[in-house]
Amino acid sequence: MRHVRGFDIMRPLSIGALVALMLPLILLPLASIFIFGTSKGLASFWQALTAPDAIFALKLSMVTSFWATIFNVLFGLFAAHVLSRYNFWGRNALIVVISLPTAIPTAVAGFALLLLWGPYGTLGRLLAPQGIQVMFTAAAIILANIFVTFPLAFGVIKPVYDTMSASLEEASATIGATRWQTFWHVTLPSLRGAIFTGALLTFARAVGEFGSTILVSGNLAGSTQTAPLYIFAKFNEGQVEAANAIAIVLALFSFAIFSVLFFARDWLEDE
Amino acid sequence: MQPEEFNPELNSETSMAETPEKDTARREAASVRGLSKSFRGARVLENVSFDVAEGETLVLLGASGSGKTTILRIIAGLEQPDTGSVILHGKDVTDLPARERGVGVIFQSYALFPRMSVEKNIGYGLRIRRRPRKEIKETVDRLLTLVRLEEHRKKYPSQLSGGQQQRVAIARTLAYKPEVLLFDEPFGALDAQTRVHLRREIRALLKQVNVPSIFITHDQEEALELGDRIAVLNVGHLEQTGTPDDVYNRPETEYVATFLGAANLLLGVISGDNVEIGTVAVPVGEDLKRFRDGQAVKLVFRPEDVVLSETGALPPGARRLTNAIIEEVNFVGAYERLTLRLDLTARRPAEGEPPLYTVTINTPERMTGVPIIVTRPKTEAGAVRLRAGTRVAVGLMSYRVLSNYVFATERPSRTVSTRQ
Repeated sequence: MRHVRGFDIMRPLSIGALVALMLPLILLPLASIFIFGTSKGLASFWQALTAPDAIFALKLSMVTSFWATIFNVLFGLFAAHVLSRYNFWGRNALIVVISLPTAIPTAVAGFALLLLWGPYGTLGRLLAPQGIQVMFTAAAIILANIFVTFPLAFGVIKPVYDTMSASLEEASATIGATRWQTFWHVTLPSLRGAIFTGALLTFARAVGEFGSTILVSGNLAGSTQTAPLYIFAKFNEGQVEAANAIAIVLALFSFAIFSVLFFARDWLEDE
Repeated sequence: MQPEEFNPELNSETSMAETPEKDTARREAASVRGLSKSFRGARVLENVSFDVAEGETLVLLGASGSGKTTILRIIAGLEQPDTGSVILHGKDVTDLPARERGVGVIFQSYALFPRMSVEKNIGYGLRIRRRPRKEIKETVDRLLTLVRLEEHRKKYPSQLSGGQQQRVAIARTLAYKPEVLLFDEPFGALDAQTRVHLRREIRALLKQVNVPSIFITHDQEEALELGDRIAVLNVGHLEQTGTPDDVYNRPETEYVATFLGAANLLLGVISGDNVEIGTVAVPVGEDLKRFRDGQAVKLVFRPEDVVLSETGALPPGARRLTNAIIEEVNFVGAYERLTLRLDLTARRPAEGEPPLYTVTINTPERMTGVPIIVTRPKTEAGAVRLRAGTRVAVGLMSYRVLSNYVFATERPSRTVSTRQ
């Protein structure tokens, strides 16, 4: 450092510049949700939050995200196992395909699902005569959530699987364990942290999903309207307080998940 | 195997009473027959066969790339041989998967399960065999006592030292009474002091539990100390199998002689009952029948088997070789190391025969003579002081005559250029 002794002017200046840049871009928008949401008193905030459609939207978001998370964690675990334990032709191509959904715009993802499952879609056309409709139901939201969060759990679990010493599984085998016993007693416990992180990431991302759900869900209040869709709908109707109440809940929810991921890292990695 | 055999007290009594000579009928606990293996066209193992007797410790000694790890993995069932078979207690297990072989592998990385406590690790083999809880607890208790880790039973592997983890790994395999214990360079990850300490401990432990074991190592000192027998491996084939005394004092190949400690090598020719090294001749001895007259051979002797005398009077039992000039005297701790140049003059070569010794030494003085290394224990070095430049008589207490293979190379540490 150049200023070993005296006062380094760059220090307060750079910190100040950093905060000044973040203020209008990140901090103020977040703050305004809370300022505006509670400006008419906590009572009206509570009222907006407990409106039946609002509660339904929050519940629907949680439930659809939950099932998408369950599926993607199980899939990610399975895919990580296959892709890190076996070497085969086309392995890298599979990894790229699994990772692809993060790069695809969410509106494109929703549109693609519509083209496949919609009433006139490739598969939907076959299902419609049987009275099975996938699109514009909760199932469509789950499908959309699975699609857009597809690589998240896999992306967290695979590197841990790769670095896990093969000698652990070999040791377990020589001790006499079956493949299933080895997976259950040795592999899975070592992946615990990665599974937890992957699940939280997937869930957080699914709860906030908007672009694909607005296309596939039908956006019916009280039926297929998720929390982000509710915010959008209420805002369009001019009910800014109603939109704001849910916005606060979603923002707080994200903070919570982020804090867990940030502060629980040591616990997840050590032990 | 009976569970009582793990009782250390009981076993120390029996081992006192029982002498190895009593065990006339040698029972093979593990055998490998004609193992060969290639990886991507490269031969890794070439027709390797050996046996391990009940309660015996065999050390597979070889440099890295000699194929020793592959042998271990084949015995454990983690690798399939191209040809050959693995027999454990009379049963051919070559086609059995690892989990049905009942071998215990102690990995260099210990491979302890990081999310299990010490006692859970040790009990793992019994838990997956669905043994009664009481039996598991008793076995774990007994093994914790055996490896002296009672107070660490609740700890996790990351909270233990390397040596402690190694002992947990051994206890974990002993719990399910393995047919054979396989140690994959078990001390490789430890510092020098712990290594020596732990290998003595493990040696004592193995004598207690009486389980046949196979160690692999590249450390000759470790091999000599741990092994009841040593099998020396060189690029995929066994060079020699024998007791530590055999392989060290009676090496059968130059590779064995040089891999296990330092050795001096002198080129010679069989002539009658003698090996002729330049103008010097020493008797071949009982190995004579292995050679034909005129065959090129090497005289091999260890630095500590050389006796030096300023007066020319050598102790009884020493075979006089020739005279030499001391070039260098180094004190290296427990012993003194001397570099000598032997007075070896080339015999006049016969018609068409290449000269055996025309040696130029690459030193500034361009001294001539064949260099050898001699070590003397501190006591002797103190009693008879020798200085550089002194002329001495050189005698050998023991030596070996080995055939001079075409592919055998001179030891790279010598700065000798043999020009014709």
